[in-house]
Amino acid sequence: MKRRSWQEYQKEIADDHYYYARSCIRQNFFPGSEKAFIDILTNDLGKDLLDDPKHSSCTGIGYHSDIVPLETIMTVVARQFALMNEAGYENFVTSCITSFGIYTEILATWQEFPETEEKTRENLYKATGREFRKPANVAHTSDVMFHFRDEIARRAKHRLVNAVTGEPLKVVEHIGCHYAKIFPKSGIGGSEFPYVLAGMIESWGGEVVDYPERRHCCGFGFRNYLVQANRGYSIANSHKKLESMAPYKPDFIVANCPGCAMFLDKWQYAIAEMEGTTYGQNGHGIPVLTYEEMAGLVLGYDPWALGIQMHQVDVEPLLDKMGIDYDPAAKYLGRNGKYIGKPASAVVNCCPTDTIYDIRE
Amino acid sequence: MGKYFDMLMEDVRMREGLNACMNCGVCTGVCPAAEFYNYDPRQIVSIVQSRDDEAIEALLKSDTIWYCGECMSCRPRCPRGNTPGYVIQALRTLSQKLGFFVESEKGRQQLALKRIIGENILRTGYCIVPRLVKPELHPEQGTVWQWIYDHDKEVYGQFSPVYMRHGAGALRRIDEESLDEIRRIFDVSGGSEMFETIEKHSDRKAREMGYEEGADRQYMMDVFTNNSNEHY
Amino acid sequence: MKKRIIVIGGGVAGMQTALRLAEQGLEPVIVEKEPELGGKLRGWHVLFPTFTPAEEVLTDLRRRVNESGIEALTSTEVVALTPRSVTLADGRVLTGDAVVLASGSTLFDASIKEEYGYGIYDNVFTSADVERMFNEGRVSKTDGTAPRRIAFLHCVGSRDEKVCQQHCSKVCCVTGVKQAIEMKRLFPEADVFNFYMDIRMFGPGYEEMYREAQQTYNIHFVRGRISEASPTIDGRVQIKAEDTLTGRPLRMSVDMLILLIGMRANDDNASLAGGPGLERARSGFMRPRNLFLGNIASNVDGIFYAGTVTAPKTIGESLNEATAAADAAARYVGA
Repeated sequence: MKRRSWQEYQKEIADDHYYYARSCIRQNFFPGSEKAFIDILTNDLGKDLLDDPKHSSCTGIGYHSDIVPLETIMTVVARQFALMNEAGYENFVTSCITSFGIYTEILATWQEFPETEEKTRENLYKATGREFRKPANVAHTSDVMFHFRDEIARRAKHRLVNAVTGEPLKVVEHIGCHYAKIFPKSGIGGSEFPYVLAGMIESWGGEVVDYPERRHCCGFGFRNYLVQANRGYSIANSHKKLESMAPYKPDFIVANCPGCAMFLDKWQYAIAEMEGTTYGQNGHGIPVLTYEEMAGLVLGYDPWALGIQMHQVDVEPLLDKMGIDYDPAAKYLGRNGKYIGKPASAVVNCCPTDTIYDIRE
Repeated sequence: MGKYFDMLMEDVRMREGLNACMNCGVCTGVCPAAEFYNYDPRQIVSIVQSRDDEAIEALLKSDTIWYCGECMSCRPRCPRGNTPGYVIQALRTLSQKLGFFVESEKGRQQLALKRIIGENILRTGYCIVPRLVKPELHPEQGTVWQWIYDHDKEVYGQFSPVYMRHGAGALRRIDEESLDEIRRIFDVSGGSEMFETIEKHSDRKAREMGYEEGADRQYMMDVFTNNSNEHY
Repeated sequence: MKKRIIVIGGGVAGMQTALRLAEQGLEPVIVEKEPELGGKLRGWHVLFPTFTPAEEVLTDLRRRVNESGIEALTSTEVVALTPRSVTLADGRVLTGDAVVLASGSTLFDASIKEEYGYGIYDNVFTSADVERMFNEGRVSKTDGTAPRRIAFLHCVGSRDEKVCQQHCSKVCCVTGVKQAIEMKRLFPEADVFNFYMDIRMFGPGYEEMYREAQQTYNIHFVRGRISEASPTIDGRVQIKAEDTLTGRPLRMSVDMLILLIGMRANDDNASLAGGPGLERARSGFMRPRNLFLGNIASNVDGIFYAGTVTAPKTIGESLNEATAAADAAARYVGA
């Protein structure tokens, strides 16, 4: 893709010393990604990152479901900043796109309407006795990974290329709406041609695929998924994206938002079960990765240590293309290799689950 | 004239989100909700800027304001610098404050959101935890999720040493002191009051609709699952 | 000795100003930054609403400028001015008795509206590209084939706070209708759509042309601004908009998307205004002393305006203004 504008949308990303705020959705559905992010930063890149047990959800899902008022979420955010100050950090890095949107929006609102910041300080002090200073730097974890993409490329054990043909893998990138649609300047590359994932993909040997519904929302829509009666909205929007990208035969999808990655994975399952439609080249699903998983695979992490077995759509076809060794039989084991049964097979799955060790047998 | 408009304007999101709309339709053209529902963010902004109390009250009581997914795709595109998504947020907040949300099927769902997400925040410090995603209410989560759900300690235990326990790491239990702080934040900043308002009006409406016990679990499950299919 | 008047800009407004001054026995000198006279009209194909070749107007003006022996400094850029002098980029100073600023305006750079993918996606063009293609006799999709569905989008870089261009560029509406007709004449089988917010047909014969576009050429008008464009796998362009008259979102693929780009204030208006203290409008265009009784005068005695340096205008309006500006300048120097 001829993206020329991304360099005009640069943002400052701190080099080290991050105060980490986790994501509700990420830890629920991709706990291995979260672990991989922390491991890559601290072990591979030697950076300092604090995972503070006292921090909480930003309550963003509640806010965007309109049950948490603006004043309340501002105060919760202020508490996170206070904890960061108390721990001696000033670079705030958040794993969630909804949160990232919340933090950027609240900082901008405080700027635009100073009385809201005053009220927040008052509320925070009243509720917790804490005071806060604003962070020097706010970034999403994908920004940080983008920041170190060349260093990761230098340490790569695998590249995003077909190990047999040497051709670059075709990758569909999906950017969470709240990454740059709220404030285009807060995202690398802006809101129309975000470069945060494309930069990683290109650095690591892959090729980005543009397609008509690239900028369309994954379909989460907060209340439109959270309330069962509304889920038609959610699946219809994922469906629109999948239909639009399928003709390009992508090798995988990568998302920087944990919710988007989950929905693009799970809705493929639901569509296949409901209609028998699948979007992958093998008659099954298109693998969906988080960018942490993508980075982890490039760096040679074991796929199961990255938690890729928690996806509904099998990622093995991609692992095979990249020439990554893995133990099929170890996929669904519990802690210390314990046999804990395996998921029932579904239309989107292509890997026989009968190779898994069953110690009872 | 303009009573509700003035109330809306007390919300900073309205001041940020509504300048003057020229009805170009850029927001609707790119809106995921407009493609799915009988929904038009442009017309909502147009009604709000008319300052017509009767029309705005009808909006506050309608399903319409509850269709938006708050993806904010409208925000970067509007040539007048409006954000229809912010206008929606302000409308929803006011609809709840005034108790109008219970007058529509989609509005009544706020009770389910309050009880599921809202109470979970106060209980755990997170919006979502794995035990909340019950496979019977989430068939779309698939067979792998069922397996994870059935073996959560084994699966999550591989990625976090503190699954549902105190300490630092994914899916840890947040300490009581921190949870108390969150609850006090909700108390002083209007969060708890919003929860009570949602409960109060839902209970009133439930009785009006013939639920003898008011907004009980049955009412909540009904608003969570029922779809009249009249939204398209 | 003849009074000397410096005319900054050698487009239609500058040429007509100089011609009128020369007629009155004054000595105009045109300073043009491009290598030849003509301004925006160079590269334009035909003019609304009569489909008159732009070349006809241009050739006539240039011929008369030549025949009048008017001095024209081309490839010469003005960096500063006073009522009695202009400073050139190379440091030289020209002196005179008054200045007419006819430096025109700038076509909006469509790539700034990133959501339309101009310069990134094949088959997204601007109205200026279309004029050039007609002049070159090669109107087609990027791959050389004939389009079957064409969409024009009005107000690109006009009426748009997001790109700091809140004004209406006035001439794009009628240009869009004109180009739609030209396309339909060339490709009778093609479906042609115009996406607009308001069709502003303010001039003589314009409304009639709009009607003709609908009635004779069956050109479709959709009231809605296009939200985004994206590439399709077969090299077409997918567009999304709302048909605001039915209140429904709309998505379609077209072979060509043509962006009707607006006119914006020149970047150097700010620096030129600085020296003599010329007032500018919020849009960045120069502000005339009085919109009714002095629209060709600046707020500074001895500096006059002609053409689109003060606002978007048609060729005809620019020519009329040039005559008025020349007369005012002549009166000022006592001719």
